[in-house]
Amino acid sequence: MKRDILTLGVVLLVALCANLAAAAPVEVTLWHYFEHEADALEKVVADYNAMQDEIYIVPTFVSRDELMNQYTIGAISGQLPDIGMVDSPDMASYIALGVFEDITDYLKDWDDLQYFYEGPLSSCMDAEGRIYGLPNNSNCLALLCNMDMLRAAGYNEPPKTWDELLEVAAATTDASKGIYGFAMSAISNEEGTFQFIPWLYASGAKVSSIDSPEAVEALSFLTTLVDKGYMSKEVINWGQGDAYNAFIGGRAAMLESGTWQIATLDRDKVHESFEYQYALLPMGKQYASVIGGENFGITTACKAKDACVEFLKFMQSAKNNAQWCEIAGKLPVRRDAIDHAPFLSEDERYVVFTEGMNYAVARGPHPEWPIISEALYSALQAALIGAKTPQQAIKDAAAVINPILEVTPIGE
Amino acid sequence: MYYKVHHIVHLQYYPQNREGVACLQAPQGKRRLNISMTTKTKLEGLLFVLPGFLYTVAVLGYPLVYNFLLSLRNVDVRTFVRGTSTFVGLANFKALFSNPTFLLVLKNTFVFTFGSLVFQFTIGFALALLFAKRFKLAGPVRGLLLIAYMMPMSVTAMLGKNIFGVSGLINDLLLKVGLIQQPVEWLVNTSTAMIGVVAMNCWVGIPFNMLILTSGLTTIPDSLYDSAAVDGATGWQRFRYITLPLLRPAILAVLMLGFIYTFKAFDLMFVMTAGGPLNSTDVLGTYAYQLSFTKYQFSLGAATGMVLFCCLLVVGLFYLRLIAAEED
Repeated sequence: MKRDILTLGVVLLVALCANLAAAAPVEVTLWHYFEHEADALEKVVADYNAMQDEIYIVPTFVSRDELMNQYTIGAISGQLPDIGMVDSPDMASYIALGVFEDITDYLKDWDDLQYFYEGPLSSCMDAEGRIYGLPNNSNCLALLCNMDMLRAAGYNEPPKTWDELLEVAAATTDASKGIYGFAMSAISNEEGTFQFIPWLYASGAKVSSIDSPEAVEALSFLTTLVDKGYMSKEVINWGQGDAYNAFIGGRAAMLESGTWQIATLDRDKVHESFEYQYALLPMGKQYASVIGGENFGITTACKAKDACVEFLKFMQSAKNNAQWCEIAGKLPVRRDAIDHAPFLSEDERYVVFTEGMNYAVARGPHPEWPIISEALYSALQAALIGAKTPQQAIKDAAAVINPILEVTPIGE
Repeated sequence: MYYKVHHIVHLQYYPQNREGVACLQAPQGKRRLNISMTTKTKLEGLLFVLPGFLYTVAVLGYPLVYNFLLSLRNVDVRTFVRGTSTFVGLANFKALFSNPTFLLVLKNTFVFTFGSLVFQFTIGFALALLFAKRFKLAGPVRGLLLIAYMMPMSVTAMLGKNIFGVSGLINDLLLKVGLIQQPVEWLVNTSTAMIGVVAMNCWVGIPFNMLILTSGLTTIPDSLYDSAAVDGATGWQRFRYITLPLLRPAILAVLMLGFIYTFKAFDLMFVMTAGGPLNSTDVLGTYAYQLSFTKYQFSLGAATGMVLFCCLLVVGLFYLRLIAAEED
């Protein structure tokens, strides 16, 4: 309804413009699910609206689940915003569904493109390398430790290996007080998969080699944490926010934590309650993490494609990308943004995440990622609650994933 | 809203029909007149039906046909935009019925429905009989019970999530009473999660059952009980031979409507457990949603919707037949 009114408004506006031959800006909508990052978005939108009069951008918040529904419905009905934000692993599906416009030709002469990191940019492309949007920010996962708890248990440093993690988790767990050594999210959605991937890759396994002994090893390790009581079984119902709340509430000594939580740690003034420290996720066979982040694309229903692409270029300029990341607690998507972002080298927390990016893997891109993702988090859940052995859980996941990869291989 | 009000209004009149209350005799008398209707009045009649008919076709018929056709094709993320989807006949239904997850979901749907019906009907009936006693404060207490029924389902689901949490109310009570030694992870274990959602559904269903059965009870004349008492009938006999038979239409209706509303449940699971853990609380409604909106397997989602529709159609036709039989 609101959109209809908006559309009507735009139509009237366009008609008016035609009549008066005046250059009133075209109103375009932008959908996003940013919450604590909304300040960064509003700033860049306000800046852009003030500096040109071709388009006037109206950002609209839509909750994450609802946003995904609306894109899917929009793929059929054509009711789409002009500019749309999307979680990077979902982009491939929406490209396949025709939600996003191919903007390769608009970016042909844009020199800046060479500065973008390959991982985030590839999540905006289809199998033929056509570009459908620009990455907005990156993040990855690291280990966040409550150093007060670790010291009390006799550890001055965060654990560096899986064995050390197990040891520290054992020492910091206090069942009588309901304190667990470790917390993560193993919920039945993309967040559960996101948090599982680093363990999978640290063991030496990949999504494309899911039926390997290494994958079983990764899952067995996490299952051990639950079986020994170092991690709550309730993590299967915890989103990343729930796990974070357990950590800042002192109910978990260590947390698998994302870059964006730097901003929430500051907002919640956690440093006033206890000392915390970030470290790379502990090493299995190798270090590993996972890339997260959001992309922006121009939808196929966009009214002013040229102008909207110009906005994306502006938003993702080196300076603006750096500024955004500082407000929202994210990592830039382009190499040269570092020149504008002193916090990346000055703030120890960002230093850890920037290093973590070297080991971070992307999810997909694959148009059927949601099905692959479901197989992964289902395996994780089944093993953690003991419904299946890690061997069986991995075997069942492979039975779903492998046939899909046979038809469309995954870029790893 | 969970249970729609117009059914209740309809039901309040229904038991009166059975007893032949005067006001409901009138339409039957009129029906005989219809035989001598002229063609003109028949056309007029059709004209009156037309808006309702068009409305039904537009808002019910179109999506239903669209959904049915979709379920016979292979539309998914690969074939959607390229327009390469083809007619596959019943292949989607075959795929569903050979998929263990779907069979589990189907089983869950029936377990959830019958589990909810048994408890909400029994307890609702007991409460209806209790409040029929018209004791002091019966009205206000009954009103309070209706609050659960008036609450939006998502609120009930959020409550359920807390009540059945590891450190939630249920565990707290059971621990204090000494029935359990360790807190139960209700919504974490595949074997207990269903208990949680059924309990929360009953939380809403009990007042609904109570409401309809109470209105049914008020239509049974006191004189019947009085004369039975004079004849020496015991309390059980009065219940068995007066209350139950006269309440039969209301009981049938409440069970049928309860079945329909419970069978197509979605919001409770969606908010309380998201169908988890491991599909243990997934029902047809949530499963169809996941297929279509999370995995973009539109045709499989449509086929699941058709299965849901067919189950409800059978129950609906059964209900209509029962009503017709009662009216004769």
